[in-house]
Amino acid sequence: MEYKKLSEQLVNKSLKKGADEAEVYIESGRNLSIEVRNGEVETIQEAASHGVGFRVFVKGKMAFSSCNDFSDSALENTIESAIRFARNMTQDENNVLPEDLGITPVENLYDPNIAQISMDKKIEMAKKVEKLAMKDIRITKSAGAGYSEGEGEVFLANSRGLLKNTKISACSFGVYVVAEKGDQKSSGGEYCSRRNFKDLKSPEEIAEKAARKAYEMLDPQMVKTQKTEVIFDTDVARAILGGILAAVNGERVLQGASFLRQKMDQKIASELVTIIDDGTMPKGMGSRPFDGEGVPTQKRIIIDKGVLKGFMYNTIVAKRAGVKSTGNASRRSYTNIPGIGAHNFYMAAGKNSPEEIIRATKKGLLLKGVTGYGINPVNGNFSGGASGFWIENGKTAFPVKGLTIAGRADEMLNGIDMVGSDLDLNRSFTAPTFRIKIMQIGGI
Amino acid sequence: MKFKTYFVGDIPRRKFLQLSLKGGIVVATAPSILSQLISCKSQLPVGANLKLDNQVLNRIIQKALEKGGEFADVYIENRISRRILMEESKFKSAVFGISHGAGVRVISGDKTGFAYSDDITEEKLLRAAEVASYVARGSEVVGPVDIHEGEKDSFITVKIPLGEVADEKRIELMKRANQAALDYDSRIKMASISYYDEVRERTIANSEGLLLSDELPLLFFIVQTLGVGNNTRHMGRERLSKHSGFEMFEKVTPEEVARTCARESIAMLDAKECPAGKMDIVMQNGWGGVLVHEAVGHPLEADNIAKQIGVFTGKLGQKVASDVFTMVDDGSLPNFRGTTNFDDEGTQMKRNVLIKDGILEKYMTDILSAKQLKMERTGNGRRESFRYIPIPRMTNTFIERGKDKPEDIIASTKSGIYVQSLSGGSVNPTTGVFNFTCREVYLIENGKKTTPVKGATLIGNCLDIISNIDAVGDDLAFGPGICGKGQEAEVSAGQPTVRIRGINVGGSRARR
Repeated sequence: MEYKKLSEQLVNKSLKKGADEAEVYIESGRNLSIEVRNGEVETIQEAASHGVGFRVFVKGKMAFSSCNDFSDSALENTIESAIRFARNMTQDENNVLPEDLGITPVENLYDPNIAQISMDKKIEMAKKVEKLAMKDIRITKSAGAGYSEGEGEVFLANSRGLLKNTKISACSFGVYVVAEKGDQKSSGGEYCSRRNFKDLKSPEEIAEKAARKAYEMLDPQMVKTQKTEVIFDTDVARAILGGILAAVNGERVLQGASFLRQKMDQKIASELVTIIDDGTMPKGMGSRPFDGEGVPTQKRIIIDKGVLKGFMYNTIVAKRAGVKSTGNASRRSYTNIPGIGAHNFYMAAGKNSPEEIIRATKKGLLLKGVTGYGINPVNGNFSGGASGFWIENGKTAFPVKGLTIAGRADEMLNGIDMVGSDLDLNRSFTAPTFRIKIMQIGGI
Repeated sequence: MKFKTYFVGDIPRRKFLQLSLKGGIVVATAPSILSQLISCKSQLPVGANLKLDNQVLNRIIQKALEKGGEFADVYIENRISRRILMEESKFKSAVFGISHGAGVRVISGDKTGFAYSDDITEEKLLRAAEVASYVARGSEVVGPVDIHEGEKDSFITVKIPLGEVADEKRIELMKRANQAALDYDSRIKMASISYYDEVRERTIANSEGLLLSDELPLLFFIVQTLGVGNNTRHMGRERLSKHSGFEMFEKVTPEEVARTCARESIAMLDAKECPAGKMDIVMQNGWGGVLVHEAVGHPLEADNIAKQIGVFTGKLGQKVASDVFTMVDDGSLPNFRGTTNFDDEGTQMKRNVLIKDGILEKYMTDILSAKQLKMERTGNGRRESFRYIPIPRMTNTFIERGKDKPEDIIASTKSGIYVQSLSGGSVNPTTGVFNFTCREVYLIENGKKTTPVKGATLIGNCLDIISNIDAVGDDLAFGPGICGKGQEAEVSAGQPTVRIRGINVGGSRARR
């Protein structure tokens, strides 16, 4: 199907049916998922699909509709549904579509080779990573290994003359295993995702990390409830970044539902903290040449050496705030109206190696697992379940599980006193190892 | 809005395969949570061919089993959904969705092959059947039984079909909720009202000769309010959901939902620091049942049991909980959010007692895990949409009512915390380690509910928790939620007021 031409035609059709402005977003893609366990294939899922989302504006009122049926009658019905729905919405002068501001060239987001590699080779990769992870005698069971891939093309057209498309791919594999000792069970998993097949890590590296995560947490001890230093491992970046991301969402800020709402250009974190959102990084898992409504992506500093520098906007929220879109319109799929989201969101690397940070810590928690919702973006409160290693005299002493950890975002961000050099930009939501000088831990 | 969230470092297997692809890219084939919304039959796209002739279905099933395998099914779905968002007293957006397609699955031993198509045509589904049959290569060929139309009991009644409701009626409800929230207290600075409805038509045919069709309406109404005062802010939330017609709003009004939400927002403005460490907790009846949904329910889903990695593996018939603890999953409660007439594999819904008086009696199965474990099919094979394979899922899961009076339970608790509502949580089904985030919490001092404290995390191990429940009230109630296990499913969770001794609370100060 000629989707690019179709997207343009559907914009015109929407205008003919009564929309004042219209946007058409088409996605077409395919995916494959293979799961293996105990050396045998457990599931293979494969499919291709497509869908279209319409955003229409009638007298400043906005509605959206989507369908996965490209027959003429279904498309017409879907457009009409959106137009009919729009009439019940509230008129808002900020309801506008972006003009065509071009694209940001981003390299290596699509790998045509993924589809060429045989199914058998992909199955073998999943089997191999499982076999390697089971090699360690402390690992008793496999919870499964897998390989998955997807590729898709997005076509975007609107009534202000914007017409663009982009192609992306991703592939991923990993394994999840269980270590047992007496009545104890401990599970660990690791995976790797990349835009290009050849960039995937070796099965050896993934297997080793998955196995280690499972067995290293055997024989945990409990510690007392106390205030202590906490080192955040790279695997728990989400616990701190998630709440910050939600709090710099321009719409939340306007609604008063962000703990950062009145903090622009103020110091909100230690000078060691710089946070960046980058939609332009080559091969980046969160990179795109343009955002969910066609605005070119950027590399932006959100927090600069502790000072809050940027909120995130899509076109409508930007107009309301009196600023320009920051290229952060996010769209999870053709069924969704554009929201606001990050691309590659990360804390910049610091100077210390993770080993140095541990050595510099007399007593404290090396946090490797956090459960819960992270920082509450409305009021900055943080509370979660915690696991990791207890540190004594600059060395990891024993694993700890079943602890809780709590604090407030301002205290946590200002309390960051060491930042590691071990930033992995292959992840789209990432931070190096860092230390917070004091947090409340709950134990016995 | 999800009550099961997965975080890096604690990602169950199914989820990590998905997360790894979803992180940052949008592939058309990855359906989203919000896409699965609301619908009505009268607006079916003209000319869409959503029904297949029985002979066509027979041919697709035959094709699926051509290379081998002992079971195949075809799942056809048509969903029409509506979502309306009102925020800051404005109707910001309306989202209308039409989604249809079919999935073909083949089971051969422990292997599953699956493929789907957006187009419900014989040609596309024969192709899907061929792709799905790949896993069964080389196994014994068993001929399917020709399908014949069947019927199952219905647990969903509709008085006012969603398709007959004018959009203006939906808008009206939302306005009423918004007004009631803002009128509740001047410290309510913003309300967000979200309305969803959907109608999902299902047709399920399989190689055992089964052929079933039905139509499921679903309503989901969510109010969130922002309270501002005392130098802090709190976002409250209240939800109402049923598989029902529009009459749902006659039983519980939008105003009631809004006021309940606003009350929480205001009450929590006075919240003090919560103590940290092990303490006794009393949980209010209702949605608190999400604690057993996560902590006990997920580990009792039979997929991990069949893999022998689940925490309850090999414990059938054993005492796993205290004598006062009985836990049930019942997908046949009339019109509940977790109710359907039959599951997404065509198995009749029913009441399943999982743990009775502390003894483990049953796991929740789908067709595959029931076969692997040689156990009955319990009606728990569910799927988010035609794009997913069915897996064991909960429906309406609850702690059965006990004998204690709620007020006596509080009065007999010397100190601890009273959990009035929970946001949600997650569990590692292998180790049984779970966590929950509280929304509204109070201290219990000398047998009385006193000061509100900030929403803290509760963590523990499922086996400890169900052994440490020592009081169960007589006030069973339920709440609606979305359960995530790599796929979304609509569920209810319920419980009477219960007391759990010695749970670790993630407060921000030491105990005094």
